[in-house]
Amino acid sequence: MKSKTSLPASYRLAVTSRVLAAVVGGYLMASLAAVCLALWMPTSRADAVITGMMSSFVFYLLAVIWCFACRTAWRAWFGVMLPSAAFATLAGVGFWMVRT
Amino acid sequence: MLLALLMCYAGFTALCLSTDRHHGELLHSKPSPRRRVGLRVLGWLLLSVSIWPAVSLAGWAQGLVEWCAVLMLSALLLVLLLPYRPRLALILAGVGLLASPVAAFATL
Amino acid sequence: MKEGFRQAMAWLHTWAGLIFGWLLFAIFLTGTLAYFKDEISHWMQPEVQAHALDDARSLTVAQTYLERVAPTAARWFITLPDSRDAGLSVMWQDKIDPGKRGNFITKTLDPVSGEAVQARESMGGEFFYRFHYQLQMPYPWGRWLTTIAAMVMFVALITGIITHKKIFKDFFTFRPRKGQRSWLDGHNAVGVLVLPFHLMITYSSLVIFMSMVMPAPILASYGNDTRGFFNDVFPATNNAPVLGQPGKLLPLVPMYEQARAHWAGGHVGRVAVNNPSDVNASVNVFRAGSDRVVHDFGSTVSFNGSTGELLRVSAEQSLPAAIGGSFYGLHMGHFAGPVLRWLYFICGLAGTAMIGTGLVIWLGKRQLKHAKTGVMPFELRLVEVLNIASMSGLMLAIAGFFWANRLLPVSFAERSDWEVQIFFIAWGLSLLHAMLRRGRQGWVEQLSLGALLFAAIPLLNALTTSSHLGVSLVTGDWAMAGFDLTCLASGVFLGWAAWKMHRRSVPQPKAERARGLTLKPEAH
Repeated sequence: MKSKTSLPASYRLAVTSRVLAAVVGGYLMASLAAVCLALWMPTSRADAVITGMMSSFVFYLLAVIWCFACRTAWRAWFGVMLPSAAFATLAGVGFWMVRT
Repeated sequence: MLLALLMCYAGFTALCLSTDRHHGELLHSKPSPRRRVGLRVLGWLLLSVSIWPAVSLAGWAQGLVEWCAVLMLSALLLVLLLPYRPRLALILAGVGLLASPVAAFATL
Repeated sequence: MKEGFRQAMAWLHTWAGLIFGWLLFAIFLTGTLAYFKDEISHWMQPEVQAHALDDARSLTVAQTYLERVAPTAARWFITLPDSRDAGLSVMWQDKIDPGKRGNFITKTLDPVSGEAVQARESMGGEFFYRFHYQLQMPYPWGRWLTTIAAMVMFVALITGIITHKKIFKDFFTFRPRKGQRSWLDGHNAVGVLVLPFHLMITYSSLVIFMSMVMPAPILASYGNDTRGFFNDVFPATNNAPVLGQPGKLLPLVPMYEQARAHWAGGHVGRVAVNNPSDVNASVNVFRAGSDRVVHDFGSTVSFNGSTGELLRVSAEQSLPAAIGGSFYGLHMGHFAGPVLRWLYFICGLAGTAMIGTGLVIWLGKRQLKHAKTGVMPFELRLVEVLNIASMSGLMLAIAGFFWANRLLPVSFAERSDWEVQIFFIAWGLSLLHAMLRRGRQGWVEQLSLGALLFAAIPLLNALTTSSHLGVSLVTGDWAMAGFDLTCLASGVFLGWAAWKMHRRSVPQPKAERARGLTLKPEAH
């Protein structure tokens, strides 16, 4: 642990950014992954929803680990938003398929 | 649960003895490669076979839960005993192994 | 963050662990106590008599009481006594306002006389159970906070595993009397050796509140009809609405018998009656949670209350429901007999110790750097105060809760609320004390007081009631005796801790101190 005076503002900003990516971005990614499972699983509606919710926390964990393991704070956001977009797309397709 | 406990404890003791560091601490000698392998096999065997008495008495659901509990707590007991009463730790394992057939007979 | 994967995970583990550690310690300790909540309640309400279990008699007695006292209630709940909880509990809800949480009234009845038990008002062990998942916060904030804490715990566990480089090599390693090294060995021991329990308890706590914290799939799949989801998962909540015509509720015992027949002799936990005075009254008979490891939320048999007609038998659990039920069942441990319950308790204490040792290590490592100057920077002092207040302070609060139970007058109307208030007052005072006293002194004084309070509980029991050890050991009231003896053992443990802490504050010989300061820096 460096002493207080030597931590630059850029470091603190980076850490804050990673924390936000992990907490907020991770939650988003986990929710979207869960929605995908809920819409795509071939089981009954309730079972698919339960499976989605139960598995969501693993996705959240992976997102959090990524956000602190990757090399820059930008990569953290990228690594969380990209899968989120993919899940969102899949979910959108699933939603549209259920409708028609 | 008792038989599973005795077997798990003995199994963990065997695994513990199969490491250079603990073998050196407890028996004051380095284990030969053959002994190391033998202890490892014995240890894993005891741990896996101990599932059977737990499950045969209480069914799969309850049995597996009891086995997990016994597994965790026998390891904890061994690790807490080792630094304070290493000889007692070893003796318990030996006595446990000897008492296992008796426990098996009584409960199964 | 450029240091490498393990270092990054170590950083995350350390900070997540610190910030949520104080809260998690409280959750784990009170949750561990909750495994014995019935036994704690028994000690705190010694007036409740245990009788031989007779479900038919209990059910009849409860029905008679509710028909007399709450004939027009919207809902009745009858919880039958079992081997751990001797009380016949009845609860009713006056009316259901859509969207609002109901106004429930609970009474404990004597299953033989049918009258409300004249026991001192107390939350008993239920207090610890409720506290550990909703803290003392208004609905739903407490649950949100504890579930967030559970997610952080999950992250801390996994990052801890990743960080622990020598997890297999050091599996059996515990080296006492070596300062910080020993604390870390201890933290690793209670962490790794009891890991299956820690992972289970943490993940299952997320699953338990998953509908609240992760509602997206429900909304995506069911849209506005969230009620539809809950009806699918808990069919027993889908009851016929009030018709407005008066009806006579049939005796509940035959319905109880029919339900048990469906479960091939399984036990009944609760009976819920909706709109008992209406012609559309419905009766749901719930299976006891203690019957199986895998909790089956849907395991109910439903009847029409006024005609006795069998409406619905719950179907076989689907795999996802069984998995969810497994998480729930394993977390609650309802199925556990006395031995397994003690094992659950020990595992819970191990988890609590894992968190506690982690907090001590966090501070200890950084304190070493400031040992020479003798002045602690503000952040470290803050951590020190919070460590003391959240650990020994909480134990003082728990002791205070038990002491209040025995010292407050039995007939005092608000004694239940006051027991809880004294818990928080004691906790607050310990925080104040920690702020005013220097670190070591704070620990020693609080641990010593805790030791005194806990060790004296059997004596307090003897002086204030007639169910002390002399009686409970003789009559075989193991719950009562167990409580007294466990408190005594806790007092001894706290006394030992206080003594060790006191000895360490005495200056050590130079050689030992030098050894302590030259620890190899580990990736933690």
